[in-house]
Amino acid sequence: MDSLNIEATKYSPAVRFEPEKRVLQISGESYPENTMEFYAPVFDYLKEYLALPEAPPLTVNVDLIYFNSSSSKILINLFDLLDGAAKEGRDVAINWFYESDDEDNLEFGEEFAEDLEYVQFHLVEKEM
Amino acid sequence: MLADLYDFKAGLNRQNVIFCFFGPISQVLIAEIGDILKKKMMLGEASKSVGSRVFSILVEQVQNIIRYSDEKYPVDNSVYEVDQLSVGIIAVGLEGAYCTVISGNRVENGKTGELRNKLEKLLGMNKDELKAYYKEQRRIGPGEGSKGAGLGLIEMARKSAEPLMFNIRRVDEKYSFFTIKALV
Repeated sequence: MDSLNIEATKYSPAVRFEPEKRVLQISGESYPENTMEFYAPVFDYLKEYLALPEAPPLTVNVDLIYFNSSSSKILINLFDLLDGAAKEGRDVAINWFYESDDEDNLEFGEEFAEDLEYVQFHLVEKEM
Repeated sequence: MLADLYDFKAGLNRQNVIFCFFGPISQVLIAEIGDILKKKMMLGEASKSVGSRVFSILVEQVQNIIRYSDEKYPVDNSVYEVDQLSVGIIAVGLEGAYCTVISGNRVENGKTGELRNKLEKLLGMNKDELKAYYKEQRRIGPGEGSKGAGLGLIEMARKSAEPLMFNIRRVDEKYSFFTIKALV
């Protein structure tokens, strides 16, 4: 598979996937005008990756400084997709990064974790 | 206009407004407003979480104006990639121990009933109920005529330290003016 590389803007995150490392990295700010349109290629890419017959493992790092409510909805859809793959036995992990003084972002991570059943969900405190 | 502008400024000062914008709003402008706000907030003694909650509410309010304002301003498609921008007002101010985020925009009279119902439902909820409702709405598809996730108002209610305040004022046969205020 090709790699995925979306550059960050002031209101949309950088999204990178390098197949050799098997890590999808989403980082920056997320409040694009049309959230669904922005994330559509990410979903397409992940669906293709998850359908690979050799079933490689996957780690998703989410390191967002700020995201709006529409992005929150997209994230739960994304995590549901990963949760479904994990349910079928795929080795999938999500790392949710937050800064130690950002209680709200920690709470967001906890709320996502509560809503997911199979995928490994790690809350990762960032070094300040 | 020349003479009135001072009165307008004095009025904003009296109400401790630290930032105010009126006009057609584009997505790019949100990032600009956010930058201004971050700098202004850093000058004060606001904690990081207060700053991020204010920014969060501001983004939801501005994106609601972009999506739902019934006042449009025609613009050059080659510059903005759209034919029109939504018009609204947004202000950030101080009120006692709180930071306030307030916005307003025109709404067609026919849409005010549903808006009022949505808000009154949220006003009746405590934090736990808001959290449960947020999670429920996050999983279901956006409502008819909704261009976003429909979560913005719930997000604002959750981030606000006090229940949201709103006002819907009938302007004429066709339009009302909708104002919403959150305290952080």
